[in-house]
Amino acid sequence: MQITFDQVSHLYGKGTPFERLALKNISLKIPSGAFVGIIGQTGSGKSTLIQHLNGLLSPTSGEITIGDVVITPTKRIPPAKRKDIGLVFQYPEHQLFEETVAKDVCFGPLNFELPESMAESRAREALELVGLDYEAIKDRSPFQLSGGQMRRVAIAGVLAMQPKVLVLDEPTAGLDPAGRKAILEGIHRIHREQNLTTLLVTHSMEEAARYADLMLVLAGGEVVMQGRPEEVFQQADRLRDLSLDVPQTVSFISRINQLLPDTARLPATLYREEELIAHVLKRLSVPKEC
Amino acid sequence: MLQNIAIGQYVPGRSFLHLADPRSKLLFIVMFATLVFLANNSITYSILIAFTVFSILLSRLSLSYILKSLKPVWLLILFTVVLHIFITKGGTVYYQLGSFTVEEQGVRQAIFISIRLGLLILFSSLLTLTTSPMDLTEGLERLLGPFGRIGVPVHEIALMMSIALRFIPTLMEETDKIIKAQSARGADFTSGNLVRRAKNLIPIAIPLFVSAFRRAEELAMAMEARGYRGGVGRTRLNKLRFSWRDSLIAVAAVLLILAIGWWRT
Repeated sequence: MQITFDQVSHLYGKGTPFERLALKNISLKIPSGAFVGIIGQTGSGKSTLIQHLNGLLSPTSGEITIGDVVITPTKRIPPAKRKDIGLVFQYPEHQLFEETVAKDVCFGPLNFELPESMAESRAREALELVGLDYEAIKDRSPFQLSGGQMRRVAIAGVLAMQPKVLVLDEPTAGLDPAGRKAILEGIHRIHREQNLTTLLVTHSMEEAARYADLMLVLAGGEVVMQGRPEEVFQQADRLRDLSLDVPQTVSFISRINQLLPDTARLPATLYREEELIAHVLKRLSVPKEC
Repeated sequence: MLQNIAIGQYVPGRSFLHLADPRSKLLFIVMFATLVFLANNSITYSILIAFTVFSILLSRLSLSYILKSLKPVWLLILFTVVLHIFITKGGTVYYQLGSFTVEEQGVRQAIFISIRLGLLILFSSLLTLTTSPMDLTEGLERLLGPFGRIGVPVHEIALMMSIALRFIPTLMEETDKIIKAQSARGADFTSGNLVRRAKNLIPIAIPLFVSAFRRAEELAMAMEARGYRGGVGRTRLNKLRFSWRDSLIAVAAVLLILAIGWWRT
């Protein structure tokens, strides 16, 4: 589904001494099927932004369009449409509460009034999507699982609603490198297979570089950059001004390019690790022309 | 949605009330609460209302924000008003319908009791709004210090209080997060009958308990890691000190006691 923000602002704690403008006139457009990396420092408005997507927060002013649904300060999203937008919060394992994994994953589908048999098949599907063995795990208590497994179960709880837009707020926070990779690879696979529109909030430029085909950089409640990853990474100085950094692949390319003659430079589009390695290996294996 | 509750929420500032010693503020509140219950006519209540308004102005906080602290209790106030109007009898009969009457004493009591409740809540929320939880518990610990000699675990009580106060906003935030996460999974907390609504709270209550226990464990561990071993021999970075502000508060207290004592009937 296509997502558009038109001049959206959000004010927290209106009328209290804690009043704070969290989003300032945000306008953006996300095409259907995109994998969007949302980057920004803590407090830049990322979490506020994504909570607008399924009506948890209403904009103070402006208009949001998701597919054919329009959200304005006075018009909320119809409850039945909410299941189209799957929101995975930070540390989603903190929302687990049922006795068994299967019941917990079914919670979402049952809330949207799916018959029980169908909810179960959805739960099976969702758990398998995140790489868990349904039969082995369905009757276990979610509180006995390891951190990484709990996180996957929680993500499956959102996927079981079969959303068309998947929004993840730092899904890899606090996981070990292997767990991070497994989760992100899983998400990327689901994104492709189910043809989802995916928004990934992350602190890690590496993660954004690896998966995103569109990037949004937020600072102080404003979108300061948006575009294809290579376009954003070109502005390395600006990113550093925002206390953000470019991925290591990009700084590698720019350092190497300083040493190479103009004609032999590495292209800036090689910000994905595998592509860069493949390219460099290919260049190295070509015998030198004398 | 939960940020609107003002109870226990400290608003940093540098007003007269913010800078006064927490001990004098605590003692003053005890005295003020006693006076509120001693007041029994319109003059004494007017004095107390005027004093409360003056204190609110002194705190330099916005009036509307302080009035929000009445929000959770206005139902209670309404309830007592209704009860008094219908049950307390005596004096002129204002209104009669069959055996049911509204009489002068009832209305009088209803007004006074609601003023009492309102003043108590406003004044005590003024304390928490202008005093950081740290100062508040230290003040309490120092005030209760003498009881330590007869075996009262004063430091432990103060510590428990400060932890409780410290975690109110954290748990609120946590609740807010969990409510949002479950709403994103289609949970509905606003419709259905009472039983259904109570059942709908389970997806919030269980994660909240789990996280509260986890936090408690982490906190205990962190305190031990930093060598916490109770109040004995503990020194402080910022010592409480009385200033001219506290003398003024004492003067105000004496004047208020005299005024209420003189005019009450």
